[in-house]
Amino acid sequence: MDDWIKKNKRGQVRFRGGSHDWLLAAGIAGNCPHFVLDDEDELLAEEERSCYNCRFRRWIDRYSFVCMKR
Amino acid sequence: MKIYVGIDDTDSIEQGATGETAKQIIRIIEERRWGNCQGLTRHQLLLHPDIAYTSHNSSMCFTAEIETASLEPLIEAAAGCLERDSAPGSDPGLCVAAEEQLRDVESLIAYGYETKKRIITKGEAYELAGKLGVHLSEHGGAGIGVIGALAGVGLRMTNNDGRFQGRLELKVPGAIINVTEILCSNLVERVQSVDGYVLNKNEEVRLGHKLKTVLLGGKRTLLVYRREGALVWKTCTNAHLEHY
Repeated sequence: MDDWIKKNKRGQVRFRGGSHDWLLAAGIAGNCPHFVLDDEDELLAEEERSCYNCRFRRWIDRYSFVCMKR
Repeated sequence: MKIYVGIDDTDSIEQGATGETAKQIIRIIEERRWGNCQGLTRHQLLLHPDIAYTSHNSSMCFTAEIETASLEPLIEAAAGCLERDSAPGSDPGLCVAAEEQLRDVESLIAYGYETKKRIITKGEAYELAGKLGVHLSEHGGAGIGVIGALAGVGLRMTNNDGRFQGRLELKVPGAIINVTEILCSNLVERVQSVDGYVLNKNEEVRLGHKLKTVLLGGKRTLLVYRREGALVWKTCTNAHLEHY
């Protein structure tokens, strides 16, 4: 199953795992060439390398984010 | 006089962090001996696809004790800092509220909570700032950072919102430490469970890897949790704190 939900009207893809799929977010970020750690105040996951901690994720509501690099 | 300084929207997706800009303003205030600054806090506003925030829609606020004569130069210097140091493409806003000059604290607090629930316009922010007698100004881009800058001040005034910037360094992760020792560090004013129980001075806490404090009841609070049946409290993770 794809980890991303199809593009929205802005052409962005949404993370399928919502806001608490720690394993999936760490797995994707582990292989992502675009990953950049965000500012310390904005980190969510305990493991540093996670989409939840990436500068290029944009939260669209409390439950999900879009990736600005996909 | 006690002032509240709120800033927002100083970063872009590629560079900058509003917390770093706030720390730069704090450095300026203290280097010029205008006053002493206290606790920089991050306040979460509404997450919504139609709001033009960078990635997480949070604003920053700190307080300072200054002489009245320093207020105008301080505002000028903070504005200059936002114009100079904000990321290209950002929309920085600045709010400075002097507690003794503020006309209606409750309206400002209500506005702060409102920014967590619905989309607010720049016009609404300016209108309220004018009524209350607080400084609100924009310093680049579309200037929509004024909405969050004003909200940051309102939410800080609740004494019950926001996480303090930065991490605490107490002891190594995994160490067990008692509450007295934590309070003696002068970095924490209260140790409290996520359910609201305030720990007594003899209770023990196992430290996690990333220690952050939140503003609760006007105090810098270290939040802890305990699994059912466990004896030792543990410090909360970032995930526990996401709604603070």
